[in-house]
Amino acid sequence: MKIALINGSPKTNRSASGTLLADLQKYITGINTAPESLKPEIAEYSCNIPAISDKIIVELQNTAVLVFACPLYVDGIPAHLLSCLMQLESANWKNHSIHVHGIVNCGFYEGIQAEPALCVLQNWCAKTGLIWGGGIGVGGGGALMQMPTMENGHGPKAPVEKALRAMADTICAHGTQENQYVSIAFPRFLYRMAAQMGWRQMVKANGGKTKDLGRQNGG
Amino acid sequence: MLSSHICVNLRYGGNKTMKLIITDIKDFNTSLRLSIKGDYQVIMPHGNIHHCIGCFGCWVKTPGTCVIHDGYETTGARMGRCSELILISKCCYGSVSPFVKMVQDRAISYIHPDFVLRKGEMHHKRRYQNVISLSAYFYGDNITQAEKQTARAIIAANADNYDGLVKNICFYKTAKELENITL
Repeated sequence: MKIALINGSPKTNRSASGTLLADLQKYITGINTAPESLKPEIAEYSCNIPAISDKIIVELQNTAVLVFACPLYVDGIPAHLLSCLMQLESANWKNHSIHVHGIVNCGFYEGIQAEPALCVLQNWCAKTGLIWGGGIGVGGGGALMQMPTMENGHGPKAPVEKALRAMADTICAHGTQENQYVSIAFPRFLYRMAAQMGWRQMVKANGGKTKDLGRQNGG
Repeated sequence: MLSSHICVNLRYGGNKTMKLIITDIKDFNTSLRLSIKGDYQVIMPHGNIHHCIGCFGCWVKTPGTCVIHDGYETTGARMGRCSELILISKCCYGSVSPFVKMVQDRAISYIHPDFVLRKGEMHHKRRYQNVISLSAYFYGDNITQAEKQTARAIIAANADNYDGLVKNICFYKTAKELENITL
C-alpha cells in the first residue's frame, strides 16, 4: 500500500510538520500488517511552493493514502498549500478510494484552534472526490522540535505521539477516524513564557531590542 | 509566485475610519461597479506576490514589516490603520482564495508575537490599538454548506486572533452580485 507523506510547511528544513511526519512514518513502519498488499510503502513529498509538478500529481494519484501536514496560518492552511490543493483538484482523479489524512500544528497551545484548517482539507476531499480519513490538530507546535521523544506514553510529546500512533493504525488498516485535537503535555503558562523568551532572544540576535517587538510602523 | 498584486490608495484621508479591502478580483476598481462608503484602500492582484515563508522576520528582524519586498510587505501596518477589513474572495474549500490568503499570511505583523489569553484560549497580543470590524464576501458557483460553515468558522477565528469583531459574512454565486450591495 503506497502512502504519500506530504510536508506542507513553507520551510525547507527543520519544520514541526516534518517532525510530525517523521514520527508518523516511524509508527507506520513499526506496524506489522498481515496481508502483504497492505504492507506500507512510504514516499515523502515537500509542498513548499504554490505549485506542484505534473509528475508528482501523477505519483500522488497512484497512492492509497495521502497525508498532509502543515502549520496553521491565520486560522487556515498556508496559502501556497491551498494553491497546490486547487491544482490537485483540477487534475483527473480516477481512483476515488484514496484516503486523505491531515495533521495541522499550531503555535497556540490548544490543538482545537486547528479545526477550521482540517475542515478546509476535508472540504477539499469532498470536492476532489476522495475519502477523508481523519486528522489531528496539534497545539504547542512551536515546541515540538525541542522536545525529546521518550518511552511510550511519557514525556511532553506523549499526547501527540499517542494521536500519531492512532493515525498510523488507521492508515495501515486503510480506515477512517474522527478528527483528534491534542496539546503537548506541558503547562500552558510555561509554554507561553518559553515562547516569549524565544522572541526576545531572536529579536536581540537580529540586532534589535526587546521593545522593538512591539514597534508600530506607519505602513 | 502567483501572478497577482499591489496596493492602490483610493480616497484615503488618513483618518481612523478607513476601510481596507483585500480582494482577488483583478482590476477591482474598474471590473465591478461597487458602492463603497467613506475612505478606503484596496489590495488586489497586480504583479507577483510571494507566499509567507514562515521566517518570523516580520516579528523579530523588521518588526511590523514583512522581510519580502514585493509590494505587499506593509499590509500589517495598513491593517493597523483601518477600522474595517473587508475580504472579497472566491471561496476555496471554505477558505479565502490563495491570493487573499497570501496577503493575510504575509500580514501577521499586524499582531504582536507575544501571547495573551482570550475567551480561555491562547491568542496573540495586539500591536495596534485599532479594533477591526471584519467582513467577508465570498463568491463561487458551487459553495457547499460545509464550506460555508468552515468559512464562517475561519472568519470568526480571524476576528478572535485580530482581537476584532465580525461584521458581515456573505456568500454569492458570482462577484458581479456584489454590485447590489454597499460596502
